[in-house]
Amino acid sequence: MKTYGTEPGAPTPVQIGISELAVSDGDDTLKSFGLGSCIAIALYDPDSGIGGLAHAMLPDGDAVSNSDRKPGKYADTAIRALLRRMVERGASYTAVEAKLAGGSDMFEFDSFGDGVGQRNAAAARAELEKLGVPVVGEDVGGRHGRTVEFTPGTGKLVVKTADEDEHGVTVL
Amino acid sequence: MRLDVNVLGTFYRMAREGAGLAAGRLTQMTGVETRVGVTKLNFMRGQEIRRDLADGSALVGVRVELTGAIDGHSMVVFDRDDAGRIVEGLLSEAGADEAADADAFDRMSQSAVLEVGQVMNSGFVDGWADVLESVIDVSTPTFVEGESAEPFLDDLENAPTDDDLALLFQSRIETVDAEIEFDHYLFPERDSMAALLDRLRTSDGIAYDKLDGFDRMAERGAEEMAETATKLTGIETNIEIRRLNFVSLEAIPQQVPDEKLVGVAFEFDGVPSGYLLFLFDEASAHEIVDAMVPMDVDDDGFDEMGRSAIMELGNIMASGFLDGWANVLDTTIDHSTPEFIHDIGPAAVDPVVVGLGANQEYAFVFDTLVVADGHAFDCEVYAIPDSSDLERALNDLEVGRIEETPTTAEFQDLDQS
Repeated sequence: MKTYGTEPGAPTPVQIGISELAVSDGDDTLKSFGLGSCIAIALYDPDSGIGGLAHAMLPDGDAVSNSDRKPGKYADTAIRALLRRMVERGASYTAVEAKLAGGSDMFEFDSFGDGVGQRNAAAARAELEKLGVPVVGEDVGGRHGRTVEFTPGTGKLVVKTADEDEHGVTVL
Repeated sequence: MRLDVNVLGTFYRMAREGAGLAAGRLTQMTGVETRVGVTKLNFMRGQEIRRDLADGSALVGVRVELTGAIDGHSMVVFDRDDAGRIVEGLLSEAGADEAADADAFDRMSQSAVLEVGQVMNSGFVDGWADVLESVIDVSTPTFVEGESAEPFLDDLENAPTDDDLALLFQSRIETVDAEIEFDHYLFPERDSMAALLDRLRTSDGIAYDKLDGFDRMAERGAEEMAETATKLTGIETNIEIRRLNFVSLEAIPQQVPDEKLVGVAFEFDGVPSGYLLFLFDEASAHEIVDAMVPMDVDDDGFDEMGRSAIMELGNIMASGFLDGWANVLDTTIDHSTPEFIHDIGPAAVDPVVVGLGANQEYAFVFDTLVVADGHAFDCEVYAIPDSSDLERALNDLEVGRIEETPTTAEFQDLDQS
């Protein structure tokens, strides 16, 4: 698995594609663009400035067999993988806070059931609650896309939308 | 020769693993930060590969012959100017600044390009060997240069002929600051490919020849779609690019421009089922609305009338496209009512990826670009079928039928004559 920020030649800001996650610290910026129904999960420890961002596409990794190969793909396994890596890097588990963005439902297709975006957001909240990590900010749902930029050192999650008049830029 | 989704999945992992190693080595060698861009498996006819290589810009390439687990050729191709910029750094380190003359690709630059290309080729090959857990030997590299496809392909014994549907590994490596891109091609030999497919296949899969059905589906779909679009808007449209890619679901939004786009999305149902997306840049969408709606419309956004015009066009293009498929497959494919979207490009594709993600890791993407002479009418079409449905549809397809299926375009030609 890629751990950006430690390899020579790693680009900044680091792009976190779908099903990817990364842990970093300080002023490094982690960015995920074009979130629709996917969910961006940002975790950070305000004391050590260690944090991470995951860009998950599905809710439930525990229900499938291959989630250990791609933990970043599922909201639940992504959260646990982020936490583990942050703690390995020196973060204090009990101090960790969470912010969420994404989980839109832009299309009302029959095959999507009651909303793939909503399910992702609900799964992330449920896993965080189970692990005792407070959600201190969120910008989820609706019918529009989002691009997020996360700075672990400050815990700032900037959420941009295509239509700034309507949804604006949210700083969580 | 038969293949299945598992085989293609392994190939895809090879392509990505190889691109990762190649990018890493390039960084080590030149100190330039790189990242791996889109990686895909393409099914392309020889003539389209040639067209890709002959896009008018001067290209340089470094080609090696492979033997072992894969027999064939691996080739790294870059824009000549980009190659110049990459080697500039290397040459100035070696104290040969005067060699970086853009006009004369002298011996010094050539050998530097050769070195870079060789390092990248071996990166790719080592990545594939890792995935296959087998040895692949690499010949000494050849430097190729030209503005057409000939120098790159003509002396290859097994280069795909115009009508051959070749499986191509295509990866893009981008430098972070300089925006230099490289394309990588692997041309495997058919026999070696067949042996590899047999080794990797975990199910009965489909006959390679049936992939021809893919291409015919794509062709008929695209023709019907362009024609219906022309009828409705009065704008003469053409199919500029038509491609069949096999990619990981995660890679699909990466291909879509990270800008605000106007789109129409559908789900379709039948064998196959899946999703169909039409994405226009804003300028094109405005021009289409102007062509379809006689009165002045809101210039900034898309009001109710603009939206319904775009959706109507999407609807009729979707019917054309899917009718083309249904004709080739001799089946019926229904589609949903259109959903309008005006948002960041990748965000429009992401819900579809999420929708398919629970049941498949990879997808076949029928990737088509519709353009119009003298008009802004750039429409990217993504048709993404459910992969098990598609396999079923192709298995049912009689290859002989493909050739017999007439296109509406041909009917029309007959009518006119």
